[in-house]
Amino acid sequence: MTEQLERRADTTRLQILRAASHQFARKSYSSVSLDDILADAEVTKGAMYFHFRSKYALASAIIEYRAAVARASVDQLLAQKLSGLETMIDISYLVAIEDIGDETARAGLNLLESIGRTDGLQATVLGPWVTAFAAIAGKAVKDGDIISDRDPQGIARLLVSMYLGLRQTSNLAEPERFLRDLENMWALVLPGFVKPDRIDYLNQFITRRTAVALKKATPL
Amino acid sequence: MVRQARSEATRRRIITSAVELFNEIGYPAAGLGDIIERAEMTKGALYYHFDSKESLATAIIEEGSAHLVEAFRSITASSAPALEGIIHGVFVVADLLSTDQIARSATQLLRAFGEFNDAAARTYGGWVAEMTERTRQAIDEGDLRGDLDPQAVGETIVGSMLGAELLANATSAGADTMSRITRTWKVLLPALVSSESLSYFDEFLARESMRHSPAPQAE
Repeated sequence: MTEQLERRADTTRLQILRAASHQFARKSYSSVSLDDILADAEVTKGAMYFHFRSKYALASAIIEYRAAVARASVDQLLAQKLSGLETMIDISYLVAIEDIGDETARAGLNLLESIGRTDGLQATVLGPWVTAFAAIAGKAVKDGDIISDRDPQGIARLLVSMYLGLRQTSNLAEPERFLRDLENMWALVLPGFVKPDRIDYLNQFITRRTAVALKKATPL
Repeated sequence: MVRQARSEATRRRIITSAVELFNEIGYPAAGLGDIIERAEMTKGALYYHFDSKESLATAIIEEGSAHLVEAFRSITASSAPALEGIIHGVFVVADLLSTDQIARSATQLLRAFGEFNDAAARTYGGWVAEMTERTRQAIDEGDLRGDLDPQAVGETIVGSMLGAELLANATSAGADTMSRITRTWKVLLPALVSSESLSYFDEFLARESMRHSPAPQAE
């Protein structure tokens, strides 16, 4: 009985998170109202306040939820056992495809930019990203793709910054343009840390991944 | 519930002991008595789960093959282009053969039973079907030549990889499996891959083989 109740509470919580993602993916934090979310989620105000005490609590929950989902997809990619650098490229395309077409993914990063700045949320979420990427970059050094005196931590920070910056300067609503911009950025940064004789292959790898992503990405 | 869990644990212990023995002394030499002794079980417990040595072998074939197919599918189900998945998937499967005891035992039993065992026939058939499907996809994506017959390519890949593994087992107890697989791909690629994609896949294969080579990277 309690198990059933818990499951129902879980379903309601997810329903609210989804409805809120729908809003936060399309509008800025300040212009989303709890009433819009309530109407979308088709739950009572009571149910909503049982799960989230404020708009802020709801927004941080989306960020956390999204971070957990992203971690799981990255683990899946790591289980593919590709080379370190190929894995890093794959992760960036995976994140881009979801950012383009998945409401929770889009809302999660939007909110990380807006409310994440103030209370250390960005550091809590992006810190582990950089650490995880640095570990994969370390593997790419061992694979012989990255020049051995380059600092994996610095490369990881550069790549995370590159993606977050691209969200600002390109346009997620135009998948073709966004993915081409991503492709160009990769081509531009590779010579900074990749061994010259590996660049041709990796550029081809990136072009091929762009082609796959163009087929898969559907805008919100 | 408890009884079911205990029964499953017993079954597991029998399979593990049988796999160990088959891998150590081979299927023909391992008697049911040896398996019972290794598993520290009664004859009754063994016969409750398996009515013969062959039914035990069938269970191992099914479970081990499932491990290998799952590993291959988890690679090819990713969003990577199909031919990349096929090549990388074969290497991952070969890797698993050196670490997963049940999978290794299953491959050897498959060889032993080949034509006499339904599970064996199903397993090989499943591999060819899986490979044919991926081949079709790779033709659509333009990496494999458009004039190829997917079924024939699927059979050729499965056949040559099984052959490479067999030769490696027979001549070096499996030690040179990876380099044999690389060499086999080297022969296959120019025959199968479209001219636009060939140089990319030469490099793809070289990288794959380097990551699997036992020698430490010079750095």
